[in-house]
Amino acid sequence: MSPSESRLRDLISDVCPSAVWREELGTAKLSIARSDWVEAHRALKSRFPFFSWLSAIDWAAEVAVGDAPEMEEGEQMVERFEVLSRISDVSDGDGLILSTDVPKEDACVDSLTGVYAGADWHEREAAEMFGIDFIGHPNLVGLYLPDGFVGHPLRKSYALLSREVKPWPGDVDVEPREGDG
Amino acid sequence: MSSGGGRVLHSEARVSVELQTPEMTLNIGPQHPSTHGVLRLVAKVDGERIDSVEPVVGYMHRGYEKLAEVRTYPQVTALLNRIDWTAGLANEVPFIIAAERLMGVEAPPRAQYLRIMLTEMFRISAHLLFLSSYPLELGASTPLMYALREREHVLDLIEGVTGGRFHPNFNRIGGVKPAAGGGKGQRTVVQDLPEGFLEGTRRAMAKVSAVCDDMEALVRGNEIFQQRTKGVGIIPAEKALEYGVSGPNLRGSGVRFDLRKVEAHLPYDRFDFEIPVGENGDCFDRYVVRLEEIRQAARIVVQAVDGIPDGPLRAKVPRVIKVPKGECYVRAENPKGEMGYYLVSTGGRGPYRVKIRSASFSNISVLPWLLEGVLVPDIIAILGSLDFVLGDVDR
Repeated sequence: MSPSESRLRDLISDVCPSAVWREELGTAKLSIARSDWVEAHRALKSRFPFFSWLSAIDWAAEVAVGDAPEMEEGEQMVERFEVLSRISDVSDGDGLILSTDVPKEDACVDSLTGVYAGADWHEREAAEMFGIDFIGHPNLVGLYLPDGFVGHPLRKSYALLSREVKPWPGDVDVEPREGDG
Repeated sequence: MSSGGGRVLHSEARVSVELQTPEMTLNIGPQHPSTHGVLRLVAKVDGERIDSVEPVVGYMHRGYEKLAEVRTYPQVTALLNRIDWTAGLANEVPFIIAAERLMGVEAPPRAQYLRIMLTEMFRISAHLLFLSSYPLELGASTPLMYALREREHVLDLIEGVTGGRFHPNFNRIGGVKPAAGGGKGQRTVVQDLPEGFLEGTRRAMAKVSAVCDDMEALVRGNEIFQQRTKGVGIIPAEKALEYGVSGPNLRGSGVRFDLRKVEAHLPYDRFDFEIPVGENGDCFDRYVVRLEEIRQAARIVVQAVDGIPDGPLRAKVPRVIKVPKGECYVRAENPKGEMGYYLVSTGGRGPYRVKIRSASFSNISVLPWLLEGVLVPDIIAILGSLDFVLGDVDR
């Protein structure tokens, strides 16, 4: 079901020869350099005309909410934002996730609105949630949050006030019972 | 005269557009009859003609992507029910399957059939709601009574199995909810489907098909309805794709694409059904596609009733769920369109990150383009025809 690597490699080899391909559990992901972000999408648009979504992941060793990522012995977390977009076709269901790393101290990447018009709202959402700047976006204003909201809620450093006041009683119904292996 | 990508304005012949008036800003919403939830449109109008529209969303934003990061996997599904609340169970399925894939667990066949059966029943329920409320928004109140009556039968059956009409919270990693009657000393009591459920479902599907025939005659063939919807709100296929418009809205524009036919997350390949498509991509086509989809969904449900295998409802999983490190994207054809979850696990008891791809978000992001140049009376017809739910937009 997933797209064959060689066909796509041909398609984008000119644009970003350094792209790294990874396929896991039916999800194909192509990691590309930040400078190739827009051109790679432009090259792939005829193959994948459907713009599904764009978002980001905050990779952080220290988290204010949830469990901190488990690291292997000697493994080091590279602090960064990973910007992701998903594009696909509407014939045989092939699709692809494009990903690029954005350093936290310089959180910006070129806007995709010139390639896929549908990227508009997705970039506005990612901008306010992560504080990433999408260069060239025509109207990069907030989408969801009320005026005057401070902070970028989907950053891992952003704590949830209600959890600070009272921890979620999440362990109650999953305590081991008698007879559990 | 700019009319947004050269679209034909059906109403042009009937409304005088000669008179130039000063530009006016018109606030529509947040509350108005054609939304399930709250959406505000800031429209700049020149007389009856719309120059530009800026949708203002976020009134329903509940921050589920953040909340999912502070919950354990079993707790997350209770939130997901509330994204598109007209099809609560359908939102759970792709998330649960993503977690199952990362864990290397597969639900037993009986649970998979139940997932399909209930997803399709929710599709019927959601589409019947559209089928009844859309004519209401255009001024016809009778169809509401017909369609909602049959929807009630479907919801009763769903409630019988899951315990909830709208928020079933029925899926578990490894299968579906085992049963009531747990607790100490009773753990061997496993309840299966309620008595008479399969027969009742078969009867309900016959009624659903019958109400589709009624709606066909009552609405589809209605001249007023056709005048209000034919040639109005046309979305060409290439625009739809670029904006990520999916589901019945995309198929209304003539693209024969349905994730149930291409994704392997559930065994839909064992079922016989067709993908209805429209021709012009207007409001009328989007209505007809949903009408037809109810019939196809009813076909799937009947086939599932006939073929549901015996066996357990849930695979063996540890009591404390921990999902191994990994990332995967699972998407499904929900009533509103492509619903997907990009799940990132770092080995904890809860997700490290969940990107929720909801259909209505992309479906209405096309509005500024689509509404440019249309006439004010057509706004409601166009909004209604996109069949969005604000919970599915804002998440």
